[in-house]
Amino acid sequence: MDEFKKTKEMNSEARGEQLFNAQARNLRIFKLNVTISWILLLLFLVFLFSGIDISIGDAHFKTIHLDMDFIKANIGFIASGVGVTIGISLLSIVLATILALLAALGRLSKFPPIYALSTFYVSLIRGTPLYLQIFFFFLALPQLGIILPGLYAGVLALGLNYGAYMSEIFRAGLSSVGKGQREAAIALGMTPGKMMQRIVLPQALRFALPPTGNEFIAMLKDSALVSATGFVHELMWRATKVGRAQFHNLEALIIAAVFYWIMTLAFTSLQSRLETHMSRGDR
Amino acid sequence: MDPIVKISHLDKYFGRLHVLKDINLEIEQKEVCCLIGRSGSGKSTLLRCINFLEEPSAGTIEVDGLTVHVDVKGKERRELIHSLRLRTGMVFQEFNLFPHLTVIENVYEGPVTVNNMEKNKAIEIAKMNLERVGLLEKSNEFPNKLSGGQKQRVAIARALAMEPKVMLFDEPTSALDPELIGEVLSVMKKLAEEGTTMMVVTHEMGFAREVADRIFVLGEGEIVEEGPPEVLFTNPRDPRTKSLLERYHN
Repeated sequence: MDEFKKTKEMNSEARGEQLFNAQARNLRIFKLNVTISWILLLLFLVFLFSGIDISIGDAHFKTIHLDMDFIKANIGFIASGVGVTIGISLLSIVLATILALLAALGRLSKFPPIYALSTFYVSLIRGTPLYLQIFFFFLALPQLGIILPGLYAGVLALGLNYGAYMSEIFRAGLSSVGKGQREAAIALGMTPGKMMQRIVLPQALRFALPPTGNEFIAMLKDSALVSATGFVHELMWRATKVGRAQFHNLEALIIAAVFYWIMTLAFTSLQSRLETHMSRGDR
Repeated sequence: MDPIVKISHLDKYFGRLHVLKDINLEIEQKEVCCLIGRSGSGKSTLLRCINFLEEPSAGTIEVDGLTVHVDVKGKERRELIHSLRLRTGMVFQEFNLFPHLTVIENVYEGPVTVNNMEKNKAIEIAKMNLERVGLLEKSNEFPNKLSGGQKQRVAIARALAMEPKVMLFDEPTSALDPELIGEVLSVMKKLAEEGTTMMVVTHEMGFAREVADRIFVLGEGEIVEEGPPEVLFTNPRDPRTKSLLERYHN
């Protein structure tokens, strides 16, 4: 009887091990297939820009021809805009985060002018195009006697714009902190300010940080709009400049696109690592 | 001896709903009193009016010599309510531990942030109170690693660390799995034996009968009956008390 029970237990253990291994194997196979498919898609994209023409019987397939000499000669000039692009995006996201937090807190205010200021700001910014806002800061500020270097005017425009959108993220973060948390803080004798600082904000920021990373990735690409004013020598400005001058717009833009994509990939992987890190521990 | 808690002519409306009707009660020092009643009888609201988590509509709250009349306004009102909250400690049904802080940080947060206590001293007080609830070894865990019963015991330690004159318990075991209720009740019983003044809103009739010095029965916003448990449980006068205790007796 005991012997039988023992075999049965061993069997169930072995069976569990088997199922676990099968699951792990399936996951590995899935990941491998995804990687292979990515590589194939990438190769297809490269082929599309290879300039090779193929004829199969009567059917002719054309691909896009790029001037490799131009690319080699100008890739360095365009690449040196990467730093400016990242710089603009970082400064803008910092400004946007501060504004978003203030706007979200303003929305919670019971003092009418503060509440109005917050909703007015969000409404105005969300109601007009970013492209237009960027021009506004270059054209209107000098009339007020404020002459900012191009970079800072761009950062101001991007920061104000993203701040308005991101205020919703922070509002969600603040409301994710339950009523019970506030009551516990109040019952301990905390003032509203202390409660906000010690209990509500730390939890709200934890909630809002991963989506802020997403906004940063979007910002990297929207920073290209700043080039339109012609005063900020970031990635897009450089690509447009050399492209136009030498009638190789397509090549120049493709170089810029590759750099944007690489930056996005890098920050996305950073972002997903951050998210895994943040989700550890609490709740 | 003067009562440590005195509630006079307390009324509370939620909109048009009259949930507390002219409540008057006094609690002596070191007394343990239980508030029982059906849900909706106003017992939790009464408890939450004592530290102004709910604003009373009328009446006076007195705790340890501090009198707060509902009609006081402005800065004086804020200061009075703050003092009232320092004199009371509260334990919630849903624990409400701070999830971003460890167990010990939860407990010393109050002394440090509210009383501006030096951190080392606050940590000592936190350790002492975690010892009291038997959870010193969990000091550095985050609340999400604890069982419901352990969470509630930490919440009790957090309230005790502020050295309140009265502990208010708002259905402290109602959110717990049945097998975890015992550990929380035994901590509360220990506090009662140490002479802590306690007001407990509860459905745990066994606890009320064993530990309470006095029981208040609430019904439709009024105190329908009060008395020591031995009298109330053996000889209830009000039909509402009878029907409430029937379930316990069966």
